[in-house]
Amino acid sequence: MHPELTQRAAPAAVTATQDKSAAITVAGLRKSYGSVQAVRDVSFCVRSGEIVALLGPNGAGKTTALEILEGFRARDGGAVAVLGRDPGDKAAVRELRERTGLVLQDIAVEPYLTVRETIARQAGYYQAPRAVSEVIGLVGLAGLERRKVRALSGGQKRRLDLALGLIGDPELLYLDEPTTGFDPAARRGAWDLVRALRAAGTTILLTTHDMAEAQALADRVVLLSNGAVVAEGAPAGLGGRDTETARITFTLPPGFPAAGLPVPTDVHNGAVVIETASPTEELHRLTSWAIQRGITLSGLTVDRPSLEDVYLRLTRDGAPSGAPERSPR
Amino acid sequence: MTTATLTGRRPRRRNRLGLVIHQVRYEQLSFWRNPQSAIFTFVFPVLFVAIMGALFGGVGKSSYFGGLSALQYYVPTIAALCVLGSCYGQLAVALAARRQNGILKRIRATPLPAWAYFVGLLAHCVLVSLADIALIVGVGRLYGVPFPSHWPAIALTLVLGAASFCALGVAVASVISNAEAAPAVAQLVLFPLLFLSGTYMPIHSSLLNQVTGWLPVRPFNEALTGPLARHTGADWRHLAVLAAWGVIGALVAVRRFRWDPRPE
Repeated sequence: MHPELTQRAAPAAVTATQDKSAAITVAGLRKSYGSVQAVRDVSFCVRSGEIVALLGPNGAGKTTALEILEGFRARDGGAVAVLGRDPGDKAAVRELRERTGLVLQDIAVEPYLTVRETIARQAGYYQAPRAVSEVIGLVGLAGLERRKVRALSGGQKRRLDLALGLIGDPELLYLDEPTTGFDPAARRGAWDLVRALRAAGTTILLTTHDMAEAQALADRVVLLSNGAVVAEGAPAGLGGRDTETARITFTLPPGFPAAGLPVPTDVHNGAVVIETASPTEELHRLTSWAIQRGITLSGLTVDRPSLEDVYLRLTRDGAPSGAPERSPR
Repeated sequence: MTTATLTGRRPRRRNRLGLVIHQVRYEQLSFWRNPQSAIFTFVFPVLFVAIMGALFGGVGKSSYFGGLSALQYYVPTIAALCVLGSCYGQLAVALAARRQNGILKRIRATPLPAWAYFVGLLAHCVLVSLADIALIVGVGRLYGVPFPSHWPAIALTLVLGAASFCALGVAVASVISNAEAAPAVAQLVLFPLLFLSGTYMPIHSSLLNQVTGWLPVRPFNEALTGPLARHTGADWRHLAVLAAWGVIGALVAVRRFRWDPRPE
């Protein structure tokens, strides 16, 4: 997919950390702006070589948490280690900037330079950058090297932004809503690139609103709401959605009152919804009942809550306080 | 110089001068390709000198112009105006805009040291100012203003003035919180000061001259008029006032400058 991507070299010196496999550890992180608690209590970890997605509604604390990790903001409390260093420490930040890359939400590129010049300028800031033409190829801007930034489309500018995050050959890459504004094909391309980067050994922490993106890319999802972690786990099992309630739906057969059904249901305008933790048994009871009476349950489906359903449930304004809900790993 | 790694990437350590030159190079590229900055910086002063030449070309040495000819008076003040424009005005506006759209934050996220970024900007502004002054002196020559002879004094005044006005530009950019307001605020402060400091016409009020003598523009005008028109050396008294303003600007800039568009 990206044969030009070079395997990253093992770090020359492994800095002392408790857990060598952890690229990021966050424990009990707190941050307030005046009286607003943006981050109340956030703990999670990102293992080396992993893709982790920070998910959550606007104002959940994702960007604040990310900015603390990036060394842009000071935290009020808690412990943070990025590549074994504390981003709250000025001397550590200098080293971290050499070893981390980031792509921010805003498109931040100057209009009058060409694509190649923009990337070459950034490359000059690092001690061991990737080759400029390699990065141009990686983000799919080949052929546009000499185009002025102001003549690029929004999606192309965003890809240039991504190139700037990659040029320093980071061990750890932060992507803040990386595919916002991409058309579907460009988004697929960006996903392929992110996977290729992971395959080459880069650790990636990304934020997104896009459930499909989290599902497609992330090894693990950390769901934030109101400044706290409300769920954490693999996207397939987040919030227990692989083991918890399934949903059985069908259309109520004419002439049969809902009360006559063999299982408790919700009925709205003839559409029957059954939320159940044991779909196998419920479905059996239901279909036996229907077959005995010679009824067809039209529109019958069984599904699990989507990642989006879980997201909406867990981030509803009265998000669960107290012990965060976690799915077993 | 470098040893190739297994991956073929070249680790290297760029020296400080190399880093600054790298910065200046791209600042220059950005600058020259922006038609607005190129026009305002170069067409405007040439036009200004040409208009003054057409209006006052025949006016010889007069007491109204402090014993100078009209063009001898205007060549230094317009030169000062250009340095002010590129170092103070454009810098304040450009930095406010770069902060607003996240370019400063993105630079902050790289290993580029802050000092290298600002030294690069300063060197860029000095280069632009140099080109400007050469152009103005050249056009002035066409209107009979003799070439100056005290080049070291001009160079010193230019670098000190550029540095001071850059510091003030960064300070103003630090105090302004949104980019839309930046041009208005920068001009609002500058425009009356230019008038009162004798940039557009000589001021004969000694009270006014006393006051503006302690503000940044008039000392710079005076310090440039000496070597550019009167064939005198460095004007230490006025340079000292200018340097003091530069220090004030630098202090405000260091304390207040933000890279992030959103306040903490």
